[in-house]
Amino acid sequence: MRNKLYLIIFFFAGVCFSQNRPLLYNVDDLPQALLQNPGTRIDFTRHIGVPFFSQFHVFAGSTGVTAYDVFADNDTDINDRIRRVMNDLSAGDFFSVNEQLEILSFGWKVGQRGYFSTGIYQELDVFAYFPKDPAVLAFEGNADYIGENFNFSDANFTGEVLTVYHAGFTYKLDPQLSFGGRLKLYSGIFNAESTQNQGVFRTDATPGGPNFYTHAVEGLDVMVNTSGYASLKDREGMTVDQAMAELLSRSFFGQNFGLGVDFGFNYRVTEQFSINAAIQDLGLMFHQKDVENYHYFGSYSTEGLEPLFPELDDNEATIPYWDIFEEELDINLKDETTTSPYNTWRPLKFNASFEIGTGKAILPCDYLISKKPRYMNLFGMLVSGVNRPKGPTYGVTAYWDRKVTENFRFRLAYGVDEYSLTKLGLMASTRLKNFNFYLAANDIIGYTNLAKANSASLQFGMQFIFKYL
Amino acid sequence: MSRLKLIIVPTLIISCLSLSSCFKDVDFGQAPDIALEPDLQVDLAYYELNETDFFDSETSLFTPLIRDTIRLEFLDDDYIQDGLMFAEFRFRHENRFPFPVRSNIKFLNKNERPEFNVAYVIPEGSLDSPGIIDTLKVMEGNDIRKVRRSFKMVMELEVLGDGKDLDGNLDFSSKGLFRFEF
Repeated sequence: MRNKLYLIIFFFAGVCFSQNRPLLYNVDDLPQALLQNPGTRIDFTRHIGVPFFSQFHVFAGSTGVTAYDVFADNDTDINDRIRRVMNDLSAGDFFSVNEQLEILSFGWKVGQRGYFSTGIYQELDVFAYFPKDPAVLAFEGNADYIGENFNFSDANFTGEVLTVYHAGFTYKLDPQLSFGGRLKLYSGIFNAESTQNQGVFRTDATPGGPNFYTHAVEGLDVMVNTSGYASLKDREGMTVDQAMAELLSRSFFGQNFGLGVDFGFNYRVTEQFSINAAIQDLGLMFHQKDVENYHYFGSYSTEGLEPLFPELDDNEATIPYWDIFEEELDINLKDETTTSPYNTWRPLKFNASFEIGTGKAILPCDYLISKKPRYMNLFGMLVSGVNRPKGPTYGVTAYWDRKVTENFRFRLAYGVDEYSLTKLGLMASTRLKNFNFYLAANDIIGYTNLAKANSASLQFGMQFIFKYL
Repeated sequence: MSRLKLIIVPTLIISCLSLSSCFKDVDFGQAPDIALEPDLQVDLAYYELNETDFFDSETSLFTPLIRDTIRLEFLDDDYIQDGLMFAEFRFRHENRFPFPVRSNIKFLNKNERPEFNVAYVIPEGSLDSPGIIDTLKVMEGNDIRKVRRSFKMVMELEVLGDGKDLDGNLDFSSKGLFRFEF
């Protein structure tokens, strides 16, 4: 029966992807829990990850649209579907891709109460809001939107690739409270962001005016900042493969740096009930090298060209109205490229949860091991979020964490977030002597057909974990 | 089951299932069929003329025929040449002169040869009751090539009368509805 249980658990874990890390949060026998909350209470004394394989995490998601919505294999026209999707989506819907690859990970117990953990991971994070108004303008034009604004602020995205060097320390103050912090050095590989755009384009009917309409760009202020892009752009003929190779060559020591911290705590209110919270990536990236920024700004309105019917001889050229129009455009709608340094906040993540334990474990009788009672069943609820340009994105997850044996545990979770209201997740972690393998996955329902899923993610890793001195 | 099997078997199952997971009920081969089809309403030209525009500024002689030309360089852009599928021009004249005015709007190509034109006579009017012509010119099918080849818009106006007691004004507004397919 137990073997069947293992198979069922792994089956479901294998056919789904995980959205985030609620499934690894507060898992006391996985070092990855320390990356989310450096104050996590842990039950191991040393760990060392298999290089490049101790954690691989990938996530892709979109709110409001799935691949099926656009590419459904039926008799309807794909362009009708796209129009329908664009009508349904708002400027608050977003697309997100996040990937993390842990390169090195290790840690050890320091004294009786401390645990030092450190490592290196590489991260890619792309987050873009649906540029509703620019998309509607490009796809449908202005004809059906006379008198309405097309907002440039709808163009809002961030994207970065970086390597993170981190070192953290977890300290158990007393049997109730443990807390910790982690210092992070960010090494930027690539960054592009455009988040504070302003201005509108509109076409107004002007009955009684000089022409049918007035076309106006009002208060345009669009800025796109990039670092790590200019040097790629300047190399003519560079293929995608070559660009990727160039980016990878910057993996360990990129040109731009930043600093950040994580904080967290775990407080055991009673023997069975605990609360905890953490913030991650409270930090800044300082982009100073290989920077190229594009700025578009100004205001302009026009009713068209106005011929003046000048008195011209046959040999005289007509007034170059179009050239004058273009000059006016250039004067009033400007663009400039700068290399000014800029700073970006890292996407701040926060987690807070409570956990209730039931089913007290029978502890091994070993006087060398100082352990508090543990519970075989843990029920918890986690609120997690990530700060994004237009405000935080939230998710709430309730879970049941079950230690089946000393070497095998799983976590079954149900969550809701802005991607899905039916997010079933499963985490399984197993240990063979000191070798640990874990897999966490979310969106089980969605993974049965990824085309209809709003998000998909997967996490797995392997490492050596030592529980005893 | 030994501990080794405990790891190997589930790992194999996970690998197989992960590899066999797929997108169902979708056809990504439709991607080339995705077309941007914007309809753009764009002002073209406008003017407000009065009687002084029909008299020579030096000799004060009546000049019944006047003309001007604007280059519509945007019609030569690649996106017009590749994507313009339909054009609907709207021309509106309000004549408050006491004489009818003949209007001829010609679209010329780069060789100064006419591709198409829109000509009509605007009835005479008064300050209180202007003579109005509001007309549409639709270009589609093979005719759209004439728009793509056009580069200049020549506006000719001829007052049909002797110009005596010419007083009033002539207003013109124009726009184009351009439908693209990219």
